[in-house]
Amino acid sequence: MKSTFFLKFFLLSIALRSFTFGTSLPDMWAERVKSVVAIDYLTETEDERRMSTAYGVAIDTEGTIILPSAAVDVRIDPKRLRRFKAYIPGEAVGSDATYLGQDPYTGWHYIKVSKVMATQLLPISKWIAPKGTKELELSDFVWGLGLRNKEEDFIPYLMQSHIAIIESLPQHTAIAQQEVAGPGLPVFNKDGYFVGLATSSFAQTYLQFSKADRTGSPLMLVDVEESSAFLLSTEVIPSLSRRPENVNGRPLAWFGAYGLEALDREAASFLGLSNQSSVVVSEVLEDSPAEKAGMKAHDIIVAVDSVMLPRFRPDHVAIDFVERKVLIHRPGDVINMTVLRGAKRIELSITLGDEPKLIREAERKYFERLGLTVREFVYADAVERRSSVKSHNGVIVSYIKSNSPVDGAGLSGEDWIKEIDGASVDSFADAVAKLSAAESDLHRKEFVLLVSRGTQTAVLRVKLH
Amino acid sequence: MKFSSARSTTPVGGFLSFCLLACLALFGVGLGRLEAVPSMSRGFNGLLNSVVRIDVRQVNYEGGSKRFDGSIGSGVILSEDGLILTNAHVVSPKAVEVTVTLSSLENVGAKLVGWDHWTDLALLKLDMDEVKRRQLTFTHASFGDSSKLFAGNVVFAVGTPFGLTRTVTRGIISNTSQYFDAERNEDGYETGLFNTWLQTDAAINPGNSGGPLVTEDGKVVGITTRGYTGANNLGFAIPSNTAKAVVKSLLEHGSIVRSTVGIVPGALQDLEDFYSLALNTGMLVNSVYPKSPAAISGIKAGDILLQIDHKAIDGRFPEQIPAILNSIAQQPVGTQLTLTIKRGVKLQDINVVTELLESSVGEERAFDTWGLSVRKISRIYAREHGRNDQNGVIVIGVQPGFPADVAGIQPGNIITAINRAVITSLDVVAHAHDAFTQKPEATLLEVEKDRHVSFVILKP
Repeated sequence: MKSTFFLKFFLLSIALRSFTFGTSLPDMWAERVKSVVAIDYLTETEDERRMSTAYGVAIDTEGTIILPSAAVDVRIDPKRLRRFKAYIPGEAVGSDATYLGQDPYTGWHYIKVSKVMATQLLPISKWIAPKGTKELELSDFVWGLGLRNKEEDFIPYLMQSHIAIIESLPQHTAIAQQEVAGPGLPVFNKDGYFVGLATSSFAQTYLQFSKADRTGSPLMLVDVEESSAFLLSTEVIPSLSRRPENVNGRPLAWFGAYGLEALDREAASFLGLSNQSSVVVSEVLEDSPAEKAGMKAHDIIVAVDSVMLPRFRPDHVAIDFVERKVLIHRPGDVINMTVLRGAKRIELSITLGDEPKLIREAERKYFERLGLTVREFVYADAVERRSSVKSHNGVIVSYIKSNSPVDGAGLSGEDWIKEIDGASVDSFADAVAKLSAAESDLHRKEFVLLVSRGTQTAVLRVKLH
Repeated sequence: MKFSSARSTTPVGGFLSFCLLACLALFGVGLGRLEAVPSMSRGFNGLLNSVVRIDVRQVNYEGGSKRFDGSIGSGVILSEDGLILTNAHVVSPKAVEVTVTLSSLENVGAKLVGWDHWTDLALLKLDMDEVKRRQLTFTHASFGDSSKLFAGNVVFAVGTPFGLTRTVTRGIISNTSQYFDAERNEDGYETGLFNTWLQTDAAINPGNSGGPLVTEDGKVVGITTRGYTGANNLGFAIPSNTAKAVVKSLLEHGSIVRSTVGIVPGALQDLEDFYSLALNTGMLVNSVYPKSPAAISGIKAGDILLQIDHKAIDGRFPEQIPAILNSIAQQPVGTQLTLTIKRGVKLQDINVVTELLESSVGEERAFDTWGLSVRKISRIYAREHGRNDQNGVIVIGVQPGFPADVAGIQPGNIITAINRAVITSLDVVAHAHDAFTQKPEATLLEVEKDRHVSFVILKP
């Protein structure tokens, strides 16, 4: 009995001695909690306000925080994101923060917290391992931070695990045996050095049983509070200097191939591409850099800048790989792609453009009495409707208030308004002027819309009360 | 043509009505006593012997293979030489075996003469050699004038609901011209564009389809076609005046040739003020199909169609629209029509050359070795779905465990190329399928799913 006790004590003392920053894991943990914050914000739409929370990491002493890409829905106009608040873990009261936008390459969202809070935070760079430190390996011990929910004041807690696998997805990603950190929160090694940033968790399949179903049916679940996967620090550290230039993340490098799909293994081997990944282009968008460079629908991208696409598992990782190759560039840069077209290999030199205005960036205006929001018709609307991007006019209905005049007339979300009162809608401003006139004229009994839905149009009469 | 319009039952019916009126006058009996009349008119009894049960065995491609399934409907014999009218959804060109049960309960084979899914009517012909050889007899019915019907008119539906032989149900005409937006039947075929419907409260059940709706004198005033399931006594029949024209054309040409200009009409009701129109003038152009004659000639959605060949039209109510479309449909294909259009305050004449009306449903075929059944993309399908060309086939079925299923192909996917050859016709697919069947080898398909293209392999 005595000897085993001593052996345990001995091992523990060796372990403690090897820690660089503190004397114990709890001490290290307490220090590193100062590098993380919890965030909450509102998404405001015409008829609701939705609260979301996320976790982030401080990256400098000025109070800049990065949140993982899933923290904010990228389809939402940043103007609709309101009341960002940052919370020191364990504290009930938050302070105002500002949303700075998303970096297109990393997908991270950037937040700025108050100056007072900035002084309470330690940037993650403080925990970067010195050069020459051994890289993370299979079975290595890792630990990380979790934060409880808002009702519990985002109390921090400790998680620990060991590395089970390291894969290219396409970024180097480690997967631990158990959950090791909240998504967006850092992971450390036994010495307390920063080894990675937890990503969203992967789906796990469970069998669900019930009284009616005793054989069980498979159910995929994703843990949104804790994750076992993290991006290795070697992927994170070089990108820490990136900052979105504006809230929309512009400029946004774009080549204009629609519907990238990875070639599956059997099709690849049929086409003699078995030792690499490759990506099929479903459509080449009108007026896009890809079209100008001569890319065609059903071309298979096999190499970027003369480097063959590595073989990824699962196949679809190759899509991310190609997209990231584009997004690391700026508009005006030239990227070379090698495509397989029939039996021929063709080199394409693509001068990247700035992505046309996105739906989330479209101007929009709500007309409360009429009961609708219209938004500017943008490039993606033309693509979605298989319409020419050159001849677009009209506006898109982005919201319908239930039981409103337009609802009663049969107007639906995503309808494309082409004419108002028999006159064509030439621009967003034109639509706003026409609808504002209808909205403000209380004597008016009706107005008439010509809308397009699918490949058909319809004249709708809107009765005003 | 051997229609029995000469053989009239009217004098008998007239006499009977007279008797009934006399009874009413003499005894002052209530309507309830009418039901106590001991027998129906001779015409009605004759009609009963002309109603048949139709058993159909038809090809079904939807399971990823060529299969056969069976269904039951009703029909009415129209002539001495064994023409039978029924619904297009009872007997279609997919039928491989049609068996008719006569009123004598004897079975005889029949063949499809022609069908018209737009009005949901099909014409069959009994195997008259067999009829003669077996010395079978039947009577035939004649059409009444559906335009003379009124709401409240007593009618009878005769048919084989759920296979129950020659079942008569009674009701009244609930509405003489009920309107439904054009829609598609179970197989995806367009229907209901060119006719309004007789609505009746006579009980109509599955299996009644194709049977006649008749007046008390036994005249066929409608072909029972559909009912609302789950509702009480809401049945619908195609008016006999529509059926008469369809039968004539099916007999002469085996099909109905219709003209179209590619306009989707709308009713003008309540929009007259907006368009500064007098009531009952013109029809709204709600939509114009891209690449259609109307689109090519410059007609636009939101235009008002005032005249066709200088003849004024009235499309104020939805119920009036089928007749207007029908007037265009009846023009020979390639006719130049002058459409008088009002756009804003301007009136203008636009010449439009009609084209052949076609279904968007393309030819179907099953490729059994792959467990794959497909439908060709038609010209109209391509037009309606904004596709640049007609290349490709739509998957309508896959058989579990067969190569197409294993490759992840699902109904609704569009296959555009096979072994890198663009699918311009079903023969391109058939060629590759035959080669695979003889010598199974990995075959490359290019498949579109929600506009995303995958390359997949059919494995031996």
